[in-house]
Amino acid sequence: MLGRRGWIGLGTIAALLVLWFVLTTATGWVSAARFPSPAEFWASLWQVSVRGYAGGQLLTHALHSLKLVAMGFAVAIITGVPLGLWMGWSRKAEAAINPVFLIIRPIPPLAWIPLAILWLGLGDAAKIMVIWFSAFVPSVINSFAGVRNIDRPLIEAARMLGTPHGRLVTEVIAPAASPMIFTGLRLSLQAAWTTLVAAELVGALVGIGFILNMAQQDLYPGMILVGMVVVGLLGWATTWLLGLAEKRALAWNVAARD
Amino acid sequence: MGSIRFDKVDKVFGPNTGGVKVLDNINLEIGEREFVAIVGPSGCGKTTCLRMAAGFEAPSAGLVSVSGRPVTAPGPDRAVVFQQFALFPWKTVRQNIELGLRNKKLPTGERADLVAGALKLMNLEGHAEAFPHQLSGGMQQRVAIARAYVLDPEVLLMDEPFGALDAQTRVVMQEELVRLARVNPRTVLFITHAVEEAVYLADRVAVMTRRPCRIKEVLDIRKIRQAENWDKHARIEDVMDLESFVHLRTQIWKSLREEKVANVV
Ligand SMILES: Nc1ncnc2c1ncn2[C@@H]1O[C@H](COP(=O)(O)OP(=O)(O)O)[C@@H](O)[C@H]1O
Ligand SMILES: [Mg+2]
Repeated sequence: MLGRRGWIGLGTIAALLVLWFVLTTATGWVSAARFPSPAEFWASLWQVSVRGYAGGQLLTHALHSLKLVAMGFAVAIITGVPLGLWMGWSRKAEAAINPVFLIIRPIPPLAWIPLAILWLGLGDAAKIMVIWFSAFVPSVINSFAGVRNIDRPLIEAARMLGTPHGRLVTEVIAPAASPMIFTGLRLSLQAAWTTLVAAELVGALVGIGFILNMAQQDLYPGMILVGMVVVGLLGWATTWLLGLAEKRALAWNVAARD
Repeated sequence: MGSIRFDKVDKVFGPNTGGVKVLDNINLEIGEREFVAIVGPSGCGKTTCLRMAAGFEAPSAGLVSVSGRPVTAPGPDRAVVFQQFALFPWKTVRQNIELGLRNKKLPTGERADLVAGALKLMNLEGHAEAFPHQLSGGMQQRVAIARAYVLDPEVLLMDEPFGALDAQTRVVMQEELVRLARVNPRTVLFITHAVEEAVYLADRVAVMTRRPCRIKEVLDIRKIRQAENWDKHARIEDVMDLESFVHLRTQIWKSLREEKVANVV
């Protein structure tokens, strides 16, 4: 069911599509060498989907990019969330790790690409590493803040009930921090997609970033737009999936409900 | 069943940074199955007393002991009911009540029986699978009390448990607590700033003063309650109308007020 706001959003998209048609096909105000017409976009999409482009069909490229993002994101969650929770819980852990974190944090994720390639070569491993680094930071910071913002009486209630340490983490601290953890995961996912394209622009042989790279060299605006739109859609779809997971996990949270 | 003892207890917050003496030489003994209320103005250190008995704070001097053992850390032998309920919002009513029993490693069947009993005791049947946010404040506090009772603790520590409730709900909960105390008497330390609540609920009322933060006097309500047969009245307003009740209430009010005047002078 589409609400009132949903219709407004659809209206905007429809208006942009019309504007696109008017500016390219109808009037020719924007030349085909700079931006593709709807027809050219469609032809490019058809070409890459069926016959293939840049060494593979669209599905192959998309699945490969999806795999890299999923792996980098997964490693970032597995490492980042526990680290953030630990730093939030233990002042000592924070004191020990935070200085290192503060120094490393301002380094843009893309600045790791040369080092990653030097260490791991041009294959997938280097790209996963860079995606991991970029997605790592928001997960750590938000998990950390999530723990620091837990109501003290909640922890005290758990201790009064004799909750052993492991259960305190899994049944009290992690759930209490989970709204913030999910905020971190969202930001991490965004960071993962942003970094993916940049990582694939450098030394990839398959993937959406590679399509973009080839299309640029081929001076092929239609295919460039296809690559951009596909990345956008993939990013949107994965964010939507994450939102579903969040809704399920945080069903108890009044603030998360509409 | 347990007892609580405050023995020459001082509490100084921030002793390294100047220090604020919040409690000065607190002496109080709460016997087995005795219900003691502490009344006093806001900020006089009532919560701090309770937190020391719970094991959340350590005294700066003196000794707090429960059933003869010095308090060192929080534990399920000293169940706390918090003013803001402190229920786990991601757990259902049943899971909230059950957590302490799981921590005690009780077998599943026994846990289910105990939880069912606690739900019945607090009139929560039918809400077992609800989440806290789906319940009213009064219902949430029932869950918190059930969670404390089900532990079968040595002592119950209640910090203004009805302070966050609206007036009507508070009255219902006060009557409920009196009923509980009759069915299942416990050793209770009850904090409040409402004089009437203290007189209605407690066996003894300790009046606390601010600066110096001491216990000024302790009034025994039991004899008057028994002599005047308060318990034959089911409703709190009927008890509060009794001359003996009004007299005690006024006495405590005066005690608190003298304190305030003394502060101004
Ligand atoms: N952790 C703390 N650090 C510093 N001061 C505190 C702390 N806890 C309480 N206090 C101070 O101690 C005094 C008594 O507090 P409290 O026991 O909460 O009073 P009450 O419950 O009677 O209102 C207050 O002035 C309060 O500001
Ligand atoms: Mg208080």
